[in-house]
Amino acid sequence: MIDVQSIRDAARDLLAKGEVRAVIGYQRGSRGMLAEPVTITDPEQADELVWDATCFHNLALYLVEDRKALAHAQRTPNLPIAIVAKGCDARAIVVLMQEHYFKREDVYIIGVSCEGGGVLVEYKLARLLNGAQALSAVIDGAELVVTTLAGEVRLPASEVMADRCLECREPFPKEHNVVFGEDQTSRQLVAPFTALARFEALSEADRWAYWCRQFERCIRCFACRSVCPMCYCDECVVDSITFPVAPETTAEEKANRIRWIERSAVRSENITYHMTRAMHLAGRCIDCGECERVCPVNIPLRLLNNKMEREAREHFGYEPGASIGGPSLVASFRDDDPGQFIR
Amino acid sequence: MSEEEQAYEPKIVAFLCKWCSSAGSDLAGVSRIQYPANATPITVPCSGSISPLYILSAFNKGADGVLLSGCHIGDCHYIEGNYLARRKIYLIKELLEMVGVEPDRFRMSWVSAAEGAKYAQVVKDFVADLKPLGPQNKLKADRT
Ligand code: SF4
Ligand code: SF4
Ligand code: SF4
Ligand code: FES
Repeated sequence: MIDVQSIRDAARDLLAKGEVRAVIGYQRGSRGMLAEPVTITDPEQADELVWDATCFHNLALYLVEDRKALAHAQRTPNLPIAIVAKGCDARAIVVLMQEHYFKREDVYIIGVSCEGGGVLVEYKLARLLNGAQALSAVIDGAELVVTTLAGEVRLPASEVMADRCLECREPFPKEHNVVFGEDQTSRQLVAPFTALARFEALSEADRWAYWCRQFERCIRCFACRSVCPMCYCDECVVDSITFPVAPETTAEEKANRIRWIERSAVRSENITYHMTRAMHLAGRCIDCGECERVCPVNIPLRLLNNKMEREAREHFGYEPGASIGGPSLVASFRDDDPGQFIR
Repeated sequence: MSEEEQAYEPKIVAFLCKWCSSAGSDLAGVSRIQYPANATPITVPCSGSISPLYILSAFNKGADGVLLSGCHIGDCHYIEGNYLARRKIYLIKELLEMVGVEPDRFRMSWVSAAEGAKYAQVVKDFVADLKPLGPQNKLKADRT
C-alpha cells in the first residue's frame, strides 16, 4: 500500500527545489469521498494531495491542456511539469511523447502503482454499502477499506473495481522519474478483453441490435472526446468547421461544404462518430476508461476501443503506450500483416 | 435468387487507385467485357490515401457496398501505400463487423492496370453477394 505522504513529500520537494513549475495531482474533492484533479505550484499545497481508489481521472489530459495554453501564450517554459500517473496514465503520456506532443524532459512523472487494485466504480460500491455514505475509500492489498460514519468496512476490492482495472494489462507505470508502490504487472484479476470476448460471441443481428440501443441514446455531448487525452486535435473532423469562409463564399458553397457526418444526434450520425473515433484511437487508446466513465448515458465505449486494441495486439503485435521511440500502429506495417481478406 | 433480389440493384462506391485499378476498370471497358454497372468509381491517388472516414461516409451517404481496390503488394507507386492501407482497412473491416454491419458490404481487392477481366469479376462477385443483403440502412444517414 502506498503511503500518500511519500507522494506529498516528492511533490513538495520538487516544487521547493524549483525542479518543476507545477505538480498535477489529486486532491480531496468537494463531493464527499471523491478525489478530483488539481494543479499545485506552491510547496505548501503538497499536503492537499491525496491518493486513493477514487483517483479515476487520467491526468495526462491536463498535460495536453498545459501544452495548448503554452502554445496559445507563445511561451516556452524552462522547467518541466510534474504529474501523478497511474499505469494507464503513464501509457497515455508515452503515446503523447511518441506523437511528439511534448518531449520526455518536459514532464516529470511521479508514478503510482495500482499494485493489486485500481479505481472503484461508484455504483458497484453503493450496492455493497446498503445506503451507508462512504467518506473515503482506499485499496489495501486485495481489499477496499471504506470509512463510513458507522465505522470501517472492508470489501473485496475486485467487487468494486472498474472493469478496466480488473482487465488491466499493466497496473504499474513503467515510464516514470520516481515511482511508488510495487510492480504487480503479472497480477491477473480477470483476463484482458473478457467483456469484449463476451460481446463478440453474440450473433451479427444481436450485435447490431445492441449498438442501436446504445447509439440511439447518445446525445453527442462530446464528453467522451473532451476527457480523452488522445483526442487533442484543435479541430475535430466530425465538427466540419474546417471550412474556410471568406466574404465571397456563397450560401450554396457553405451549404455544400464537406460534412463527413451531421451534427444531429441521431443513430446513424452517432454511430459514424463513434466508429471514426475508434479508428482514430486505434493504437493510441490505452484503456484508461475515462470516456466510458464520463458518459452521461452509459454508452459502453470501452468495447469499441478494446476491439481495436486487441486486434492491434493479436494481429500486429502492437501495444499502445509501450514505446516512446517506436512507430505508430497505422504508420507502420509488417510483411506478414493479415491480407487474406483482400481479393 | 428471388425475383425481388433480381430487381434490386445495389449501389457500390468503388475507390480505385489511379495507378492500377482505375486503369484496370478502363481496360475492362475498352475490352468490352460485360459486367454490372452498379459501381460508381472514385479515383484516389493510392489505396493508402484512403481514410476510414471515406468508407464510413460512403455508407452514411447511402452506399449499399463499398469497394477499395489498389495495386498488388510490391507494386504500389508510392512503395508502401498499399501496405499501410492493408493494416488500416483490416481494422475498419473488423470494426464494421463488430457493430453488426454485414461483412459482405465491404470489399478490398488488388487489381493491376492489366487486369481488366479481374476488375469485372470483382464487381460481378460483389454485386452477386450484395443482392441477397438488400439495401443498406444501418449506417445510412437518418435525415428525418
Ligand atoms: S486501468 Fe490499470 S493502471 Fe489504470 S487505474 Fe486501473 S489498475 Fe490502475
Ligand atoms: S457517447 Fe456519451 S459522452 Fe460520448 S457524446 Fe455520446 S452521450 Fe456524450
Ligand atoms: S478512448 Fe477512452 S479509454 Fe481510451 S484513452 Fe481516450 S478516454 Fe481513455
Ligand atoms: S499507388 Fe496504387 S495502391 Fe499505392
